Amino acid sequence: MKVLVVEDEQGLAESITDYMSKEGYVCETASTFREADERIYLYNYDCIIVDLTLPDGDGFQLIQSLKQFSATTGIIIISARNALEDKLKGLEIGSDDYLTKPFHLSELNARVKSLLRRRQFGGHTEIRFQEITVVPQSRNVYVSGQHTTLSRKEYDLLLYFLSNADVALTKVSIAEHLWGDNIDSADSLDMVYSHIKNLRRKLLEKGSGDYIRSIYGIGYKFGLP
Amino acid sequence: MKLLSQTNRIYLAFSLVIYLLTAVAFYQIIRFLIYDEVESRLNVEKRDFEAYVRSHNAWSSSPYFVENKIEVMPVPAQTARPEAFTDTLIRNRYDDELIPFRQLTFYAPIRGVMHRVEIRKSLIQTYRLIEVITITMVLFLGLLLLGTFWFQSRLSGRLWLPFYDTLSRLKRFDLRSSTPLYLQPSAITEFSELNEVMQKMAGKMQQDYRSLKEFTENASHEMQTPLALINARVEQLIQSEQLTKTQTNWIESIYQASRRMSRLNQGLLLLAKIENGQFDDVQHVDLTAELIQRLADMEEVLLHKQIVVKIIPGDAFKVRLPPSLADSLLTNLVSNAIRHNRQKGYIQVRSSGNQLSLSNTGPALTSDPATLFDRFKKEAGSHDSFGLGLAIVKQICDTYHLGLSYHYLQEVHTIYVGLLSPDTNMR
Repeated sequence: MKVLVVEDEQGLAESITDYMSKEGYVCETASTFREADERIYLYNYDCIIVDLTLPDGDGFQLIQSLKQFSATTGIIIISARNALEDKLKGLEIGSDDYLTKPFHLSELNARVKSLLRRRQFGGHTEIRFQEITVVPQSRNVYVSGQHTTLSRKEYDLLLYFLSNADVALTKVSIAEHLWGDNIDSADSLDMVYSHIKNLRRKLLEKGSGDYIRSIYGIGYKFGLP
Repeated sequence: MKLLSQTNRIYLAFSLVIYLLTAVAFYQIIRFLIYDEVESRLNVEKRDFEAYVRSHNAWSSSPYFVENKIEVMPVPAQTARPEAFTDTLIRNRYDDELIPFRQLTFYAPIRGVMHRVEIRKSLIQTYRLIEVITITMVLFLGLLLLGTFWFQSRLSGRLWLPFYDTLSRLKRFDLRSSTPLYLQPSAITEFSELNEVMQKMAGKMQQDYRSLKEFTENASHEMQTPLALINARVEQLIQSEQLTKTQTNWIESIYQASRRMSRLNQGLLLLAKIENGQFDDVQHVDLTAELIQRLADMEEVLLHKQIVVKIIPGDAFKVRLPPSLADSLLTNLVSNAIRHNRQKGYIQVRSSGNQLSLSNTGPALTSDPATLFDRFKKEAGSHDSFGLGLAIVKQICDTYHLGLSYHYLQEVHTIYVGLLSPDTNMR
């Protein structure tokens, strides 16, 4: 899987690359419009992550030219502009997702994964982690072949964990993933706790291993003990 | 009041005063002339009388005088006084009417006996003359006044036409649009100068507005990117397994601080954008339905805090707002109602055609309710908020001409959003 990160802030591009590389993606970066334009002309990417404001050009323009070369490349916009018009315009010209800065790397990662799943296999793919199997298209979860009924939020939570396996996730990033940016943190953190408790219970009941660990002061991690 | 009607009014009042003064002066002059004439004739008659008395040494009331225009009466010598003119009224012999006379009284000795002599002349003809002259004058001056008034208003209406044209173009001028202000050139120097200055000013304003808008966006970008970097680095840092408890706490607080800053930045930018009127896709929004939807979206939080939502049926409250701002407005109201609610409390929505109210249970405010909608006013204990939510609500209501008020009664807080007058928001 090849991902191109178009971001002029070097540090941020580096962070994204590091994070994505750990997930097994091949990451390349471009910090200017020209560089990015050249790269999308020369190479093929499965997904590109574009910042809208670049020192020498507009991210929208980049997306438009990308659409001409390769219609299958997934596009995620990361922008500091939290404007509805920008989001609509982005979707209109063919981008798949829009994230407002500052975002959580884990959230970006989850979105990239879900985008690639949709793009590559038309959603006909299963996510496996040990004895847990998730079928995103039908939103079904199986533990050792046994169907497990989860609520909508519990399902979203599980998928988020699976997308970011073996990564420490902050409570805030989980809350914002489940309820959006406008969620009031004091209440949402309690809710995160109770959802995680329920999810863990349901998985354990069906005989899965205990993969959710809480990390003191930070949040949770999903992975092998 | 319009400039033209104002000038016309002043002009009319001024002309009236002048005309009245002229009329009075005119009347006085004519009167003076007539009296002068009558008095000189009386003097001539006095000389005639004296000549007659001198030659005849006697006076006889002659039948020649139709009216008793000369009256001679013997008086004691010591009553003699200098001659004098007086006005007098004398009853007409025939039709019993009082008729004005001018009278010259003097004393003259006839055959050694002092006599008082009164010579009179009727003023009836001259009075009529004054009347006729006055009426004619008033009539003509009146016509003249009306004529000039009409002409004046027509003329100035035409002269001021370019000004009104400029005014209507200025009214239609939209700072946000990229089309520059165009004003019709005028042949009148003052107006063409005015237009020139206006066009220059409008151009400058548009330019300033654009740069302000760009600044707002740039500021957002410049701040959000470093914040994104802090967030990303923190996320990478927490992946490390060797963190001590203290380090974790430090990281946690860095993370919290950057998140708060980002939210604060977004809130302030939103406020600035609303103030600058950068939202112009105004649409009809059913706030009641949207509010109920927002509450449904928050179902889990409500369930978690065991808050009951009561919706009192009523007419939908519809307003004209940009959809993104309607969203901000409701989101802020709802999260406010949840945040300041208590466990097992309730939220109540009441809606009518011109008002929407959202009530929530909760302890009384610790701060002054008058400052509730001010920026950075927050309740003690709610360290997680900035006190911008309700300021944003207020700014939206102010900008789009909606009324906003707060009421507290027995542990129930209610915020009302309503139309100020039937059509201010709908315009």
